[in-house]
Amino acid sequence: MARQGRVARLYLLAYNCAQAAGWAYSGWLLAQHVAATGSLRGAYAAAGEPVRLFQLASALEIVHAALGLVGGSPVTALMQWAGRSNVLFGVVAAVPEVQPGLAVGAMLAAWAASEVVRYPWYAAGVAGACPHWLTWLRYTAFIPLYPIGVVVEMAAVYQALPLIRGRRLRSVAMPNPFNFAFDYHTFLVALLALYPLLWFRLYSFLFRQRAKKLGPGAEAGSSAKKQA
Amino acid sequence: MATLKLQVKSRSGRDLLPDGLLLPSDATVEDLKARFAELKPRYYTARQRFTLPPREGSRSGEALADGKRLVADYGLADGSVLFFKDLGPQIGYATVFFWEYFGPLMVYPLFYMLPQIFYFGIKAPEKSLVQSLALAYWSFHYVKRLLETFFVHKFSKATMPIFNLFKNCAYYWGFAAFVAYFINHPLYTAPPVKRAAAALATAMLCQFANFRCHVILANLRPAGSGRGYVIPRGFLFNLITCPNYTAEILGWICFSIATQTAAAAIFTLVGAAQMAQWAAAKHRRLIKTFDGREGRDKYPRRWVMLPPFF
Repeated sequence: MARQGRVARLYLLAYNCAQAAGWAYSGWLLAQHVAATGSLRGAYAAAGEPVRLFQLASALEIVHAALGLVGGSPVTALMQWAGRSNVLFGVVAAVPEVQPGLAVGAMLAAWAASEVVRYPWYAAGVAGACPHWLTWLRYTAFIPLYPIGVVVEMAAVYQALPLIRGRRLRSVAMPNPFNFAFDYHTFLVALLALYPLLWFRLYSFLFRQRAKKLGPGAEAGSSAKKQA
Repeated sequence: MATLKLQVKSRSGRDLLPDGLLLPSDATVEDLKARFAELKPRYYTARQRFTLPPREGSRSGEALADGKRLVADYGLADGSVLFFKDLGPQIGYATVFFWEYFGPLMVYPLFYMLPQIFYFGIKAPEKSLVQSLALAYWSFHYVKRLLETFFVHKFSKATMPIFNLFKNCAYYWGFAAFVAYFINHPLYTAPPVKRAAAALATAMLCQFANFRCHVILANLRPAGSGRGYVIPRGFLFNLITCPNYTAEILGWICFSIATQTAAAAIFTLVGAAQMAQWAAAKHRRLIKTFDGREGRDKYPRRWVMLPPFF
């Protein structure tokens, strides 16, 4: 907290409020869709646009970490942003066939539910006025939401795999002037294999944080400096 | 000459030597570490790290540096407390450097010489001159590094944690395979030979510049002159704090141009990012040490690593 000057804190407050609003809006669109159709299928058409916008904007968090505005490593921030962006922009946006599916719909819902707790918690932390129930929510909501989230993300990617392979999407073969080759399908398969491990590390990290923030002796309204 | 009895605790407060550590009052840090290793043979001297109790507001105290005297340089007296940390199994710097540089020297030529294995199923045409020149340059580069490790570099520390061996080898060997795979690929498209040759010639000049920087750094502190920092001067050091990194990065940029490979460019970028971190830390350290007060020189205004940006 000591590293943040006045302007920095105002900026972070504004940023986190904007993200909170964006995800709340996305969540509301999702809720409307479910109310209208009774299912999360096709939710991407309803809420896809704001989700893409706010996910793209969240790349700023990498910059925040790199500049020291917030704690945490910029490399970690980059990996988390890249992971979700790869699924959203790399896979789902490129393969229309998976967009109306339940996996994608559930994915958006899981993301919205997590973010609509996380960003207000950050904002409250920056403002120095974080109620204990919000901290509790931030460090409890993830417990069901993260496993659900990772399963539906993997499912969405898995569904898209045959289509990506067949269309050689986002892949480049040699020969070419850059003497480079990349097969997106192979990349995604390797990533899916790594996903459970990477995800588990984040999950256990959050549990440790939970013990620190909610455990005995933890101060209410802890600083939001370390972003995870 | 008095005897000191020091208390040695772990950083969590546990007393590690109930009978204390007895040393003569003119003992040095090396004497302390040798005595500690006698009492706790598992922790050979290279694994030991001792710190003074932290001052108000600090998280950790000053670390004891080899070569200094306990009482005179650190004010340690009878009954003083020291904190011990186990640095884990250690490995020599030269050993790590050998393995991390030997790997690329072996791995890259394998891709050049055995296309039937690495590019299974793809018909391999004759190698282009550019690919052969690239192999020669790459091999020269890593032979140079190995020779510098054993004949030029003077390491400021004798050892590093053994985990670094695996981490560093993964980086060097991994990137060697990554770069070699694409340059020696049967479907490789070579840039014009003249361009490649000119780029590699420039890269060689950078290698000589880098070598000269290494020699200057090695001669900064003649043996026995103690462990103080010296402001590097001469050659590019008058303008840049870490010109060795500057030359190295420029060399790899030239290599990337010569081979026209995205993989080489990525390798260059990642290396440059790491070197930038090291250069920034060194620059800060030198500025902090040479602050111009109490008779010390003031560190001159210099680029960190890459004029005119950084």
